Amino acid sequence: MKYTTFNQVNNNALIEPMFFGNPVNVARYDQQKHQIFEKLIEKQISFFWRPEEVDVSKDRVDFQKLSDSEKHIFISNLKYQTLLDSIQGRSPNIAFLPIISLPELETWVETWSFFETIHSRSYTHILRNLFGDPSSIFNDIVDNQEIKKRASDISQYYDDLIFAVQLWQTLGEGQHTVNGKVHNITMRELKKKLFLCMNSVNALEAIRFYVSFACTFAFAERELMEGNSKIIRLIARDENLHLTSTQHIINLWAKGKDDPEMAEIAEECKEQATEIFLNAVRQEKEWATYLFQQGSMIGLNKEILCQYVEFIANHRMSAIGLGQPFDVKSNPLPWMNNYLNSDNVQVAPQESEISSYLVGQIDSEVNADDFGDFDL
Amino acid sequence: MIHIQQHKTVPHLPQRTLLESIEDQKIVVQFHCREGFCGACRTKLRSGEVEYTSFPLAYIDDDEILPCCCYPLSDIEIELA
Repeated sequence: MKYTTFNQVNNNALIEPMFFGNPVNVARYDQQKHQIFEKLIEKQISFFWRPEEVDVSKDRVDFQKLSDSEKHIFISNLKYQTLLDSIQGRSPNIAFLPIISLPELETWVETWSFFETIHSRSYTHILRNLFGDPSSIFNDIVDNQEIKKRASDISQYYDDLIFAVQLWQTLGEGQHTVNGKVHNITMRELKKKLFLCMNSVNALEAIRFYVSFACTFAFAERELMEGNSKIIRLIARDENLHLTSTQHIINLWAKGKDDPEMAEIAEECKEQATEIFLNAVRQEKEWATYLFQQGSMIGLNKEILCQYVEFIANHRMSAIGLGQPFDVKSNPLPWMNNYLNSDNVQVAPQESEISSYLVGQIDSEVNADDFGDFDL
Repeated sequence: MIHIQQHKTVPHLPQRTLLESIEDQKIVVQFHCREGFCGACRTKLRSGEVEYTSFPLAYIDDDEILPCCCYPLSDIEIELA
């Protein structure tokens, strides 16, 4: 079906599925099929922040004091996070927007992506402060084998969905030969690709950031690179919200609260979804090995980090009905919670745009006795 | 009162969230955001009723609650993750 930027069919968005129904026409939010996305948008907007608000100048001095192995850990993590947010800043828009059918979900995806671009800009802010010219760092992201390995694994599901949707939009369902290769495009196949892609995004938001988060906060525990840690805290808070949204989407499908065909697909592809998650866990453990290959850092080593990945994975997998495959019962890095607690992110209302400070600040009710003290 | 399966029974403290009341008894509960949007404290509610102080954004199943942003309305029985 050809995409149209303003669908002229007078459809009722309240009975559309989240994906692959009519394209969205009127961006209206007075009524919602799935209210949760409107709530997520409000929450995300209340989290707005600018990288430049955070002073990272002291980090430059701290960085010089780090050992070579610690520098490797710090810079490698920044590179990996830059990669993740490069992908997440554009992919949900390109992959999901053309097939979304609900205005609130469309706007949620746009809001989500916008915040990923703030994250990307903050990595430049951090790196520009540490190095006069950060070009070599950025260039290495597309050369470094360890990072590339992860990049192709993450982008593969997006690329697969995007290409199939493009074929479907231009040629419709059926067998299409492109450059000698036959592609079988059916609605069922498209929905399967969407399901797998959403699971891959969910795994990304759920665990792929946490190895680097742990390293950043381990530096902060030693009062090192604190500007950077402040920024990463803001990023972690956003990523948590993004994860919540993909968990909602997957569960709405699986519980049959949206498109009934997606409930069938969720059942049918459960094994593949589990494999996507477990593969992300394996890759994160490999990443921990790569980080600590030149030596560990105070307060953190490869083993404890791998346990933490398993601990987080258990929790995130059970949230989408995939069970708890790992045998880790207690949190191996309890101090991480202090950094993931949103109360500790930023407190001064005038420095940030917290929701309670912005919402309902104007009392528009005026009573006659409010003028009681006035004499003319 | 808050009955915690395989743990003890603890009192709910006035003006506090369920999470804070449990933590007050030195029982370890998972948490991250403490604001209802991350789902780290997701807990099974076996019986009783709770009320939310703010909208629970995180995904929870029909039999689950987010202790970080609710308080009990009656005696409750919960099962920690």
